[in-house]
Order: sequence, then C-alpha cells, then structure tokens
Amino acid sequence: MLKKTLVALSVLSLSTGMVQAQGTWTGGDDLPTTPLACDGTAATPAAKEYDGGVPTNPPDRAGQEITVVDVPKLIGIGYFDATSKGIAEAAAEMGNMNATTDGPTEANIDDQITLIDNYITSGVDGILFAANDPVAIAPVLKKALEAGINVVGYDANSEPDARQWFVNQAEFNGIAKAMIDSLAAEVGEDASFAIVTSTFTTPNQARWIAEMEAYATECYPNLQWLETVEAQEDNILSFNQANTLINKYGDDLKGILGMTSVATPAAADAVTQAGQCGNIAVIGLATPNAMKPYVDADCVKSVVLWNPVDLGYAAAYVMRATADGELQPGDTEVEAGKLGTLSVINGSEILLGAPFIFTKENINDFDF
Amino acid sequence: MTIKKLLRHETILAVLVVLALIVLAAQSPRFFTVDNLLNQGRLMTEVGLIAIVMTFVIVTGGIDLSVGSILGMSAIMLGVFWKNFGLPLELAIFLALMVGTLAGLFNGLIITRFKVPPLIATLGTLALYRGIAEGVSQARSVRGYPDWFYVLGQGQVLGVPTQLWLLGIVAVVAAVILGMTTWGRMTYATGSNETAARFSGLRVDRVKLLIYSASGFAAALAAVIFVSRVSTTRSDMGTGVELDAITAVVLGGTSIFGGRGTIIGTLLGLILIQALKNGLSLAGVKSDGTIVLIGAVLILTILISNLFHRDGTR
Repeated sequence: MLKKTLVALSVLSLSTGMVQAQGTWTGGDDLPTTPLACDGTAATPAAKEYDGGVPTNPPDRAGQEITVVDVPKLIGIGYFDATSKGIAEAAAEMGNMNATTDGPTEANIDDQITLIDNYITSGVDGILFAANDPVAIAPVLKKALEAGINVVGYDANSEPDARQWFVNQAEFNGIAKAMIDSLAAEVGEDASFAIVTSTFTTPNQARWIAEMEAYATECYPNLQWLETVEAQEDNILSFNQANTLINKYGDDLKGILGMTSVATPAAADAVTQAGQCGNIAVIGLATPNAMKPYVDADCVKSVVLWNPVDLGYAAAYVMRATADGELQPGDTEVEAGKLGTLSVINGSEILLGAPFIFTKENINDFDF
Repeated sequence: MTIKKLLRHETILAVLVVLALIVLAAQSPRFFTVDNLLNQGRLMTEVGLIAIVMTFVIVTGGIDLSVGSILGMSAIMLGVFWKNFGLPLELAIFLALMVGTLAGLFNGLIITRFKVPPLIATLGTLALYRGIAEGVSQARSVRGYPDWFYVLGQGQVLGVPTQLWLLGIVAVVAAVILGMTTWGRMTYATGSNETAARFSGLRVDRVKLLIYSASGFAAALAAVIFVSRVSTTRSDMGTGVELDAITAVVLGGTSIFGGRGTIIGTLLGLILIQALKNGLSLAGVKSDGTIVLIGAVLILTILISNLFHRDGTR
C-alpha cells in the first residue's frame, strides 16, 4: 500500500505546474500610450466605427416590459454579487425591466454557454454577460443576436461582433491616472517610488505601467522611478520583493505601487511588518476585502479599482437604452440614471468612468 | 446475473425519463420542441461520448477520474499541433486523438502494471494531465480555425447536429460490443470477479488496458468536438466532466462495484440529466436549484432501484 501511495504521490507532485521563466523586464510595453490630461478633462474619444453586432429582426421593445437575464462569470462571489446588486437596483429604478441573475457555480466556459443557450430557448428579451472566455462565448451570443435578443456585456468582453455593446469598467489610461494622482497626493510630486508587478506574460500590467510612465512624464515630471520588480502574482514572492525594496532603498523609498490584487496587499503587509506605516505609502489595484485591515490601520490610504455596483447599474441602463432603440450604432453617449451620461469609446464600448478609489470612509461599504 | 434483473433498472429509468419529459414539457412550451431537443443533443454529446466508454470502465470495477483532464490536454495539444507546429488541421486532430489515447493507455499501465487502484491512479493523472495542459498552454488560447472544422461542433447533417450522429454511432457500436461480443463478456467477467476471471484464463490486464485507452480516446474525441463547438482551446476545458459522466453511468444502473451495467442505461441516465438541466432552466429554476434536484434524483433513482433488488445481491 505504501508503494502505491508513493507512486500516486510522485505522480501528483509532478503536476504542480511549470516553473515560470524569469526575464529582465523594465515595466511598460512598447505600444503607443494615450495619457489623459493632468486636470482630468475628458479626452475626445478617437472616432471609431461601430464594430458590435446587430440582432436579427428584434421586436419593438421601446418602453415595453422586458425580461433580462444576467449571466456573470460565476455566482456566489462578492464581486458578481455586487454587479448583480447594481443591475437589480437599476431595474427597480426603471420599473419596466425584469432582471434575474443566473450564472454557473464555477467560472466554467461550458456551463456558462449551456446556461445562455437555455435562456435563448426560453425566449428572454435581453442577455447581460461577463464572459469567461471572449472567443468561446461568441458562437452562443451570436445565436442570441440571431434570435433577436439584445446582448450587452460588462466586466469581461467577448469578440465585438458577438454582442451589441460592452460596458468597459476602466481604460488603461484611466487606471494609470488614478494611480499616479493618488501617489503624488500622498507622497508629494517629487518623491521616489517603486513598483511591484506580476510578469511580462501579463499584458494588462505592462499596459498600465506604460500609461503611468506617459502620464507621469506629462504631469509629474519630478517623480522618481526607482525600480519595477516582478512578483508573478505570488503572495510570498510579492511580500519578499516589497521587503527587499524597503531594505534596499531605505529612506529614499516613499511609495510602493502594487499592480496586481496580490502584490498590493502583500506590499502593505511588508510595510506594516517593517514598521514603516506612514513613511512608505502603498497604493495599488486590489479588491476591498483584501485591503480592509491595512486601510483600517491607516497604513494604506487609496485602493484603486472600479465600483462593481455601478458597473452592473450601468450595464442595465445600457441594456434598456439598446432595447428601446435609444442607443444606436454611431451614438457617442448614453444616459445611465444616477451615473449621468456615459461616453462611447472604441466603437462599441461604453466607458463606466474614472476608476473608483476606495478609502477608509467607503471601503467598508463593499464586500468583494 | 439475469437479463430480467438488468431490464428492471432500465425500465424504471425509462419510465422516469418519460415522466420527466412530460412534466417538463408541461412547465414550459419551449421545452418539447424539435429545435430544443436537437440542441440539447448537441450539448450532451461530449459528456455522452465519455460516459459511454466510462460504462465499460465502471463495469470492470474501475473508474477513470482523469477524463476531464485528458479532454483539456488533448484540446490544448490540438491547438499546439496546428498553430505552433504548423501541421495541417487534419493531422493535428489525429495527433490530438493519439495524445488522448496514450494518456488513457498510461492510466491503464499504472493500474495493471503497478496494481495501483484506479481511483488513486486516475486521481493522480487528473492532476498530472491538467498540469501539462496548463503548462503547455501558458494561459494562451488558440483560435481562428478554418470554417470546415466548425461543421463538427456547430453544423448539422440532414438537420441533425453533426456530433449527435457521432454519438449515435459510438453508442450503437458500444452497446453491441458490451452486450453481444466476447469482449463484452470479458468486461463483465473482470468486474464480477477478477480473480475468477484470471483463473479462467481471461487476459484481464489486456481488457483493462484497452478499456482505459478507449476512455482516453473518447475524452480526446470529445475535446475535438468541444473545440469545434466553442471555437477556441483553453487549458481549463473539461473541468468536472468526469463527475457528469460518472453520474450518468451510475444513474444508468451500472454498479460502481463492477460486473453490472448497460449502455442503454447510461444513455437513459444522460438523457434524464440533460432533460432536467434544460427543462428546469426553461421552467425558471436557477442553476443552483437545478444541481440540487439532480443530486436528489440520482439518490432517489438508486434507492428505488435497490428496493426492487432486495435479493442479497448488491
């Protein structure tokens, strides 16, 4: 029996995944950047033709009571509870939308596809989705469009022609501006800082850093970039890397930017354990639950992300406007209830707005 | 081991399936339509292929937990062979099927050569194959297959989804092999009493090797169909498929201890689960409620079936 167990164990241990290759990487990517204006005036969006899909012969739904199903990546997690809360809130406000949330219990592409397929058969008027995979979900969404159903995405996009609109929670340059603005406000416009990121295989982080570089050059030219370190979205590695930065730069280091939801809490932990709270500011992308202890202890002042309740709320309003025929290909903005007017970007995306900054005052209102 | 006894579970199940179809059709006018039923057939093909071969595996008293991971690995390899190695897609499909078959053969070798219990061996390879899939893919997907490839997963032949034909052919062939051939008899014998089978001169290990290889092949075939249906490859494809397949097989009356089970039963089990999933969803039951009901149906069916089998056998 021992032998058998050993065989099984050795088989299991083989499968612990591949060791990631390390490489030298300075931070940003080489793609062109589009930094926002320093004072926050909205840039005029580059004109791009509508590249979304069009439903086949939809019935006239203007002002009618419509049945909408919301299919997030998965159900039972705080983040999508928050988006579905926003959708329900908007539906209650409008009074003529009957919205339910139903998603797979795991972030599984097949379950999500099957679920959407069933809702197409059951004859809903609209489908809101957050895709587990942009390509895999496309055939079933196209099928929905062919059935005359209005299709709007949020949080995670599909291929553009498989849906009508996508509510984009944050653009790269918006996140970059929020990060650098928060940093400059906390540590001053001529402070030195370092970045803890994931790896070069994660395109989002590279994009954000490139945009941050461009924005800082424009608006805070005296900020000192010390170093960008890789931490591979690994909890322990992130902590160690942040710790190394603290020891290496000593008093020169005024701020650490965390580029992943793993790196930010780990950096906050490293600063806390080094007793440097108040001397070294930690700012970063992270979910509120992971950051509450550090924010409550006054060690972290700004956590940058978006508000998922608003995201769901906006998605529901975009759905209503699409069903009513008020939001047409070529339009440049859409009314979204309490959020006001949202602008259309990239052809068929609606921008939620500036990122949301969680602070000590509001972080306890969120649970995800 | 009488034919009568076998019939009884299948009969109960068939009655249940008919009942379920009637009740579900009454719940939603959109359920019992040709379009919907054919579409459901499309959706259940992948699990169906795996479940049919899983019936053989479980009849021998074994189990194969690694099928979902083999599906994921074969799907990734299909993409890698085609995109990264630049092979023609036909050859890539063939090689992906070979990868799945070899993965199954490897399961069989661990089980027969090293006498590792199938549960542990395939639990190991469940992790191993998924790890390989994730390692090879590095979270990248392969997309943009030529149009002819999508016929398999998204198209139809004579008004019936392409892959449903395939499922039908595999089901008939499997039913004939298990029910009417020496191979089928050997499969039952292995599961009923392996020691007796060995002493009767049956090449039990060869039977098992072949069956586990076939299981890997079925998973790879399901992978090709799955990739064609969703038009992309991902390393997490097929996660949890093993449980869906095993549920269908067990619901179909195959004894988890081996020696008993039929392909018809498995097919009825598959249909019942798929009908419940789809019908309940159309009737407005959310997916969390649906899985609770499917669990309850599984237990109830086995209980009812056992009530009729109070004769000292399992």
